[in-house]
Amino acid sequence: MPDIEKEIHGAVFTFFSTASAVGKTLLSCNMASELARQRKRVCLVDFDLQFGDVCNYLQLLPQRTLADVQQAMLMQGEACHVEEYLTPYEYGGVVFYVLAAPKKLEEAYNIQSDYAIRAIRQLQTKFDYVIVDTTSMFSVLNLALLDLSTIVTFLGIVDFIPTIKNMKIGSDTLNDLNYDKHKIRMVLNRSNAKTRIGIDDVEKLLGEPFYHILPNDFRAASQSIKEGIPLVLKTERTDLGEALRDLVARYTNQGYEESDEGMDEYVGESWLSRIFG
Amino acid sequence: MINRVLLVERDRLMLEKLTQVVQGTRGFELVARYQSISDALGQGAIFNPNLILLDIEKQNSVALIADFLKVYPKASILCMGEKWQAESASHIVKAGARGYIIKPFTGVELQEAVDTFAKMGSESGCETLVFFSPKGKSGKTTLIANLAVALARKTHEQVGIIDADLQFGDMAVFFNLAPKSTIVEAARDAKFLSPITLHSYYMPVTQNVSVLCGTETPNLSDKVSIRRLENIISMSRSLFRYLLIDVPPGFNPTSIAAAEKSNTTFLVSMINDAYEIDHTKRALEIFKDWEDYNERVKAIFTRVEPCNSQSQQNLANKLGYPVTAIIPNEYGIVSDAADNGKMASDIRPDSPLARSVDRLADEITGRGHRIRWEKS
Repeated sequence: MPDIEKEIHGAVFTFFSTASAVGKTLLSCNMASELARQRKRVCLVDFDLQFGDVCNYLQLLPQRTLADVQQAMLMQGEACHVEEYLTPYEYGGVVFYVLAAPKKLEEAYNIQSDYAIRAIRQLQTKFDYVIVDTTSMFSVLNLALLDLSTIVTFLGIVDFIPTIKNMKIGSDTLNDLNYDKHKIRMVLNRSNAKTRIGIDDVEKLLGEPFYHILPNDFRAASQSIKEGIPLVLKTERTDLGEALRDLVARYTNQGYEESDEGMDEYVGESWLSRIFG
Repeated sequence: MINRVLLVERDRLMLEKLTQVVQGTRGFELVARYQSISDALGQGAIFNPNLILLDIEKQNSVALIADFLKVYPKASILCMGEKWQAESASHIVKAGARGYIIKPFTGVELQEAVDTFAKMGSESGCETLVFFSPKGKSGKTTLIANLAVALARKTHEQVGIIDADLQFGDMAVFFNLAPKSTIVEAARDAKFLSPITLHSYYMPVTQNVSVLCGTETPNLSDKVSIRRLENIISMSRSLFRYLLIDVPPGFNPTSIAAAEKSNTTFLVSMINDAYEIDHTKRALEIFKDWEDYNERVKAIFTRVEPCNSQSQQNLANKLGYPVTAIIPNEYGIVSDAADNGKMASDIRPDSPLARSVDRLADEITGRGHRIRWEKS
């Protein structure tokens, strides 16, 4: 029998929430960075189409965006290569790619979920990991994305009752959608922030314990946003950065590598040339 | 005061039906009834009615109302029709009628119609205020809830809130309500409703504030079509002096439709030291398509520290647009209030938050000192 070259489809990690401002963008940027630091081929996609912050947090000025991808798909059909529309992020020898949200609001408004999903499917054939940041609602696009995701991180914070209510509604809705138990992972962000609501009570309400808990470090987080450098790529260690790394290690089913030697060496070219060469 | 009713209805059977309703309703006395408009105009005054129930179906309602007003200048006119239409309803109100009721009606509906239209002026007198935010967590629900209470307290007028943040509206939580009916039922029934019957879908919060709550679960948001939502907004305009509408974040059919129907759209963002001003700027660009955006679009920032005129001016400079109000960071009070279903401004009426909301209420009612912005 002749060898059949199998197409490998990378994993899709989606960050989703039903309460707003819970840290989806921060987490997705850090997860992309940490995976890239481990030499994985990573693409970060901003599906907060109208007011996405991925490029803000990474201080990127994308030339091309998802709007151009859709345009190309309309014009060229199958001949469109999504990888030509990515913007590289590079820091300290770590490189990953970003599929940016449209620049103009009217472009964002006119993105059709079919094309956006098709872009993710294509990226899966080129990358080990496709990380997707979203908006906090059950939109047509988000539902299609949840369907195709390998893991959905359902992110929450515990601040006041309305947020908890929306988390509960979100987790119930995800339950109704009947995804595999292991696919949806509830992660709590800013766990030790000022609040009078107990985490135990929230877990009881949601009907399951949090998969992972991240500490509150508003200062470190905003500092990293201001500098445009994800916490896991910074040389100084922070509790939040460590907790983020732990999360990535658990997602990839491996202890994270303390690869000191890797950090100094420039690693971007090798696999990139495979994709773009 | 007894309502002395003059009933004018061309259809014989309907006349009988409505006669029974009026006669069976406490506080209403049927003093005369006519099938013929000429009879009603020529003879009814003998019985000195103060409320005229006037059938306007298939007639030139504006001319008809004018005729009745001439003969009965002191009476209130309630028009009756088979179906509520936003356009004809606003015409009849402009022509001088008090309001509109769908026939046949029950005694309770008649009572409510008279009560509501007595409290409320007319649709044309309603200020519709839409609260738009680029992203979630803008603080707008807190703002709307407290502002509604402040507006009602200051003006003693009727204030309504529509929670059109369809998937994750929090208004019911903020007011600690377990709504029996929500925007979903209102949308389902909108075709058969008039402002009066719609009113019963609103949950009363205080004497002058009521809320049309959002959906209970996100999947129900599909049940509220844009046309129905527009219909609900139009009808609600004849129920309230101020109508405050919470919409989902970002530009979507819901937020756009509501904004189009607004007298004022507030652009609300929370200061988080990230990119909120950029987002507000981009959103503002879209609203600049309105010719009157200068008048109609107003920026508000929440969680502003320090919350003083200097910060307000700085934000305005960064935004390149006037900032109408700034709301301080009072996480403690706000979360206490929301967790307990109370208003932050009630818990601490003297707090900076309550004072900021008060100032905005003054600005909206025209009592505040009008700030004039120099063109930069």
